Amino acid sequence: MRLHEFEAARLFQAAGIPVPPFSVVRTVDALPEVVGQVGLPAVIKAQVLVGSRGKHGGVAFAETPEELDAKVRGLLGGSVRGLPVESVVIAKRVPIARELYVGATIDPAVGAITMLLGTAGGVEVEATAKDRPEALFRHSVVPPGEFWGHQARALARQAGLRGELMVRVAEVLTALYRVFCRSDAMIAEINPLVVTPDDAVWAVDAVLDVDDSALYRHPELPADPIARLEHPLERAARKFGVSYVDLDGDIAIISSGAGLGMATMDVVGERLRPANFLETGGGITEELMAKVTDLVLQKPGVRGLLINLYGGINPIHEGAKGIVRVLRERRVGIPVVAKALGNRQEETWATLAEAGVTMVTDITTEAAVDALCAALEAKGTENVKRKT
Amino acid sequence: MSILLNRDTRVLVQGITGRIGRAQTKWMLEYGTRIVAGVTPGKAGETVEGVPVFDSVLDAVRQTGAEASVFFVPARSVKETVFETLEAGIRLIVVVTEHIPVHDTMAMRAEARRLGATLLGPTTPGILTVGEAKMGIIPGNLFPKVGGPVGVISRSGTLAYEVGGILAKAGLPPSTVVGMGADPVVLTDLSELLRLFAADPQTKLVTIVGEVGGVQEERAAEFIAAGYPKPVVAYIAGRHTPEGKRMGHAGAIVQRGMGSVSSKVAALEKAGVSIAHTPAEIGLLAQKLLG
Repeated sequence: MRLHEFEAARLFQAAGIPVPPFSVVRTVDALPEVVGQVGLPAVIKAQVLVGSRGKHGGVAFAETPEELDAKVRGLLGGSVRGLPVESVVIAKRVPIARELYVGATIDPAVGAITMLLGTAGGVEVEATAKDRPEALFRHSVVPPGEFWGHQARALARQAGLRGELMVRVAEVLTALYRVFCRSDAMIAEINPLVVTPDDAVWAVDAVLDVDDSALYRHPELPADPIARLEHPLERAARKFGVSYVDLDGDIAIISSGAGLGMATMDVVGERLRPANFLETGGGITEELMAKVTDLVLQKPGVRGLLINLYGGINPIHEGAKGIVRVLRERRVGIPVVAKALGNRQEETWATLAEAGVTMVTDITTEAAVDALCAALEAKGTENVKRKT
Repeated sequence: MSILLNRDTRVLVQGITGRIGRAQTKWMLEYGTRIVAGVTPGKAGETVEGVPVFDSVLDAVRQTGAEASVFFVPARSVKETVFETLEAGIRLIVVVTEHIPVHDTMAMRAEARRLGATLLGPTTPGILTVGEAKMGIIPGNLFPKVGGPVGVISRSGTLAYEVGGILAKAGLPPSTVVGMGADPVVLTDLSELLRLFAADPQTKLVTIVGEVGGVQEERAAEFIAAGYPKPVVAYIAGRHTPEGKRMGHAGAIVQRGMGSVSSKVAALEKAGVSIAHTPAEIGLLAQKLLG
């Protein structure tokens, strides 16, 4: 779960990281009071859960109360990269002598926490890693190891920092490490960490992405991971415990596993265009399959449905009843092809076939896609790419 | 021969008295697995499918000689249960459980490496040695009675079933199928599993069933490029994955320029691995390479 900037900034501040005074605003009514608290000049930042806000009109500056009012009005109620702006952060502007990058992330290759310090702040870290690797310095911690102050100072010295500034940046590094561990984070980032002309440091942005699997032990964190999902169908799917990703094609897909779902997308994608990724996980029931069938058919313009299931941990014969119920209720006029193998497959086939679903008993997903293409062609639903 | 698990391995089931633990114990026994004990704290003295239940791993090990353990333990208890199991001397653990905090996984991984133990998962369907034994949830009825020449390492469960079935249909059934897990951090690396298959005389070819996310496949490519004695076929699922979207598995995400199918395919191809573009192609490539 990605936190909003203001949520992350509060956690960073509580850990001792210097954050310029800021206020979160949802309406312009609060502005006079905010000017008193924060001061001018100010920076106004849209609170949307995407990166590169600056490049996409999500950040503005104001010197006067009038300018602040106009620019906040301009942002609130608008959108940044397609996401509605419901609140903005108004923060005190700090003078910039230079910009650094400070981050913590998980190194999946070795299961370590990587602390990062970059001398080119304000740019995306991937870009620095690619174009200017010499500007990025790392220190790796394998749990249950610690990240000690002297290690942070060594990292800051490696990056060329000296004196008080070196000590201040090292303190930010160790504080960020504490926040990262304490909140079960996957990514923590300050980009940029601004250095003022008198060598003070300020975190002027705050990114914190927390492990969804660990949310149960963090009552202090926001408790609305589902509400943060962008797409309405993704939110609906998560509410009943399955995973949905919207794609730009028109062939709906239901699969009983993530890898199988991705492979089904690959095979469908050879000749048609997948409308979605959906995997049920191991909790199939009649009810769940009715819900997911209904869900994938809600997408406008869907012209075919491919169902790919394995009965290992899942009772697919029960699931089949749910699928059939929705197909009948909705009087779905599009071709539906299913491949369902494993425990109690014969019952599953009988239930689905009776409702007009084309059953494929071959083990390959290709065979199911062939059947779907044939059905689409027979229906004359235009251009199916020929098999190559 | 096989890797990690055979019909003689003395298996312990942790969380054996839960709904899933009971059901899967029955399937594992039916497949031929030598299950010698179960553990659920507070349930010592009970039996499940004739298997005696103990309060602690140490009791189970002392009284039955259990040497490998499969977990049907809730995510919140997995970390401490792994430490208990390692402390009792067990050196092969299969963590089927999903949704384990990544910070817990890092701690378990470090401890396993310190002790030289092999831990599979989290989020793994487990391991199945064809015709001999299985630990985890891989359905036995998808495979023939006797094992064949192909080692299968998969990040995904259901896709491993499809690939196992495709190989069997191609006349080249698996020797052992290993689920390495689908989380952002895994407990045992893909390259380590490749090393085990290299040493198994029954296995003549290894199949990697990868997917988007992380760098396990890239690291394995480096390992293979340094000199691997057997042909390798790989299929990486998720060509149509949009950036920044988690595809069901916690670890299946293309993020910050890392984890794309093209990066994995390029690394593996450079290492001399044959790339299948769909699961069905794995069967054809295996036939060609072993033909």
